[in-house]
Amino acid sequence: MQNREILMAVLIWLPAIAAIILFMSRHSYKLRNLVTWSVGIILAACSMGILLNGPFEYQPQGILGISWDTVITIADFCLLAFILYIGIQRRHALIILLGIVQILMVMYFEFSLGGGHIAITPVFVIDDLAIIMALIINIIGSLICIYGIKYISEHEEHHHVVKTRQHRFMFWLVIFLGAMNGIVFSNNLYWMIFFWEATTLCSFQLISHDLSQEAVKNACRALWMNLLGGVAFTGGLIYLVGIDSGKYLSVKYLLENANTPEVKGVLLLGIALLIFAGMTKSAQLPFQSWLLGAMVAPTPVSALLHSSTMVKAGVYLILRLAPAYAGTSLSSMVAAAGAFTFLITSFLAVSQSNAKRVLAYSTIANLGLIVACAGINTPTAISAAIVLIIFHAVSKGLLFLCTGFIEHNIGSRDIEDMEGLADRMPLTTIFVTIGIITMFLPPFGMLVGKWAAIEAASELPVIVLMFVMASAITALFWIKWLGRMLQGTSGEPGQKKESMAAHYLVSLGGLSVAAVLLGIFLIPVIRGLIIPVVQQYYGSPGLIAGGGAISSGQTGAFVFWPLFVLLVLVIVISRLIYSQGGKQATVYLCGENYGLPDSTSYMTTGEAVTELKLSNYYFGNVLDEVRWNKVVNVLAGILIIILVGVTVI
Amino acid sequence: MKEIILALAIIIVAPILGGILHGVDRVITARMQGRVGPPLLQPFYDVFKLLGKEAVAVNQRQVFWGLAYLALIIASLLCFFLGGDLLITVFIMAFAAIAFVLGGYSVKSPYSHIGSQRELLQMLAYEPILILMAIAVYLKTGTFMIKDLFNQPQPLLFSMPLIFLALTIILTIKMRKSPFDLSTSHHGHQELIKGITTEYSGPYLAIIEITHWYEQVLVLGLVAMFWVQPIWAGIALAAIVFVIELVIDNISARLTWDWMLKFTWGSGLILCLVNLAYLFARGMGGI
Repeated sequence: MQNREILMAVLIWLPAIAAIILFMSRHSYKLRNLVTWSVGIILAACSMGILLNGPFEYQPQGILGISWDTVITIADFCLLAFILYIGIQRRHALIILLGIVQILMVMYFEFSLGGGHIAITPVFVIDDLAIIMALIINIIGSLICIYGIKYISEHEEHHHVVKTRQHRFMFWLVIFLGAMNGIVFSNNLYWMIFFWEATTLCSFQLISHDLSQEAVKNACRALWMNLLGGVAFTGGLIYLVGIDSGKYLSVKYLLENANTPEVKGVLLLGIALLIFAGMTKSAQLPFQSWLLGAMVAPTPVSALLHSSTMVKAGVYLILRLAPAYAGTSLSSMVAAAGAFTFLITSFLAVSQSNAKRVLAYSTIANLGLIVACAGINTPTAISAAIVLIIFHAVSKGLLFLCTGFIEHNIGSRDIEDMEGLADRMPLTTIFVTIGIITMFLPPFGMLVGKWAAIEAASELPVIVLMFVMASAITALFWIKWLGRMLQGTSGEPGQKKESMAAHYLVSLGGLSVAAVLLGIFLIPVIRGLIIPVVQQYYGSPGLIAGGGAISSGQTGAFVFWPLFVLLVLVIVISRLIYSQGGKQATVYLCGENYGLPDSTSYMTTGEAVTELKLSNYYFGNVLDEVRWNKVVNVLAGILIIILVGVTVI
Repeated sequence: MKEIILALAIIIVAPILGGILHGVDRVITARMQGRVGPPLLQPFYDVFKLLGKEAVAVNQRQVFWGLAYLALIIASLLCFFLGGDLLITVFIMAFAAIAFVLGGYSVKSPYSHIGSQRELLQMLAYEPILILMAIAVYLKTGTFMIKDLFNQPQPLLFSMPLIFLALTIILTIKMRKSPFDLSTSHHGHQELIKGITTEYSGPYLAIIEITHWYEQVLVLGLVAMFWVQPIWAGIALAAIVFVIELVIDNISARLTWDWMLKFTWGSGLILCLVNLAYLFARGMGGI
């Protein structure tokens, strides 16, 4: 094996091995701590190694005389049997049904069609898109695992858990990373579905971790929805294997022949089924409820599901296959479905006061935008989608981890309870501010992605209208949240410094720094990673980056570095002015607070001191989630049916 | 080098122009109300006086976001007048408005709280129209770059009259004029005091005031964009629209935020869409 092959093997196998050690270290926090930190550092380093090495392909030899295809087949059946067992244990009819259906389908694929033993070479193809994903999974994912080790021990303290389950939690958290690495490296779709179903199982185990009634119920929902996706995926495989003796099970072969009439014709149904699977995994409407329900899990799980794993697997698959369906009506339907999700969930995010639900809706919305970009399917749109995947992972991971940290400190995840945290938790507030600003404002990456997306969509009137409305409403739910956190009275210079455990400081600080630095070094990121992959599949770069500007070809350009200089200047100058400045004022309340020591209260008749209370708007009467869902799910369902349907007609 | 000098010139000239416009505003408004009104340069006297006052603030966040508001408005102004990407100009303007909102939110005051909440809704009202305007410009001209608009055979106004109309609607919001002076206004309102700027005073208030001058020039620049060749026609267009806004301000009463949202999203968006549909249909037939 060459060095790069060892790196790849480490990325897939190390999480599995480490997970077993973590599972056995039930009685030792120290051991779990040591293992998680070292695994995190090794995984991050290996993904960097893969980056430095550049794209490559790898065909592993068999083990002990057994071919890897056989191993994967056996493992796949074990996995499905385990899922079936869960269904029986939880007495969940839908899970049992989908589990059986999928087992039968895999049997048919394997024994009747011989699909598992068609020689697909190479098994692993690591191109620039896979490298980007590997970096996201292994760096952000590792930071979340490190955060998780501390968080889950505090979590058990808060909930007075007698019999510790921390070892189990860490087991599933770490093995998740390995499964994700498997998905992004696999060229053989049959291998990919094994890892795909492994992530489904991991997410079930993590969501149900607390074993409360709600947790189990929501985990079961996540499981059946993703199994539905799995069934569609398997259906896609069965369809693909029947064409041209199964050569199209190789993603590489599929993309190399993307412009043949075969791929653009008979093959489309198979691709549509894979896209359907991607949409369930990415919680696109009408499958959003599993991701919203997943909120019951401890926060590191949400952070992992939303930023670097799980939902990203879905958009990865849709994006991966994009060249194959470019220019078809399937592509237009993907764009429409994605844009619809982006629009509706952005509105619904406004109605939420639970911070985790705001984050969840925003995730679904952004994934919708990414899916829509894949559907627009021009080089610029594809570049936009990749930029969005990268920056969304960093910022969303950061915001979830912040929310979890805040929850452990104030005992609530409700935005209304976060009033004035800027005074009490200044450092966390800075992290949240960075997270929110990098999520949708210039000059940071997400905005660059959104800008490129809108420019790419300019000639599609319906899509662009949905983009425009959704991005306008995005500002509303972010800023009214951040506003509540900033809302304080005094900024006494002597305010107490906030202290954080190393686990939190490294993960929150690391992600904040990454969010800012990636924004500053966006041009090298685009030139080094995004342009090559778009060039490879589309023959045109999509975005042009250089000389301090990013441009979308002839039509527009963004010289963004002056904004960074400006923001730094504002930070420095405002500090200078304020430290020179004169008096500290109290809040103006028309004199009703005269003589009171603090200005958060005022006097009513009879000198009764009354607390000043403020609250946010949520427009619950208009944006009624339950009422909206009824209509929205039907519409989205119709869209999905048309999406698959257009390939048959 | 040429660009830097031009940028510096814009940074210096724009607030002077904006301040004079505010003076004109006050004079004309006074005449419409049968008063003599202040001298033309009154806004400058006010700001210089504010700058000389003691700096008093509630906390540092307030100062930070106030300055960020100024810096970002200047950035979008430069992006616009140096011929940059129109869509990016709109996005930076949005960040500027957000900085202003966060400055208001930074203090636990009922008045700036309500002002910030309303300013956010105002953004929600005008943001889609501004972005759609940029897209319409692209559909018409094939570019988002403002510098390329000077090569057009005829003014944008001819092919985008409805979008121009929509722009004048949201101009009332951006200039904080009746019927949309919801978040703060030039006159004190009982339920608002000074709304979003209530907690700014002295030099900090002066910064906000100067920022409004810059913003005034920027939004009139957007108007002038509809007739850039010859340039005096654009300036004349901006001047006419400016006066019309003053008239509207004086003949209308303040309305509620939900009316504003319905009106801008209703009529404003419909105007944009009809115009876009027209541009699109023509584009399909080959420009």
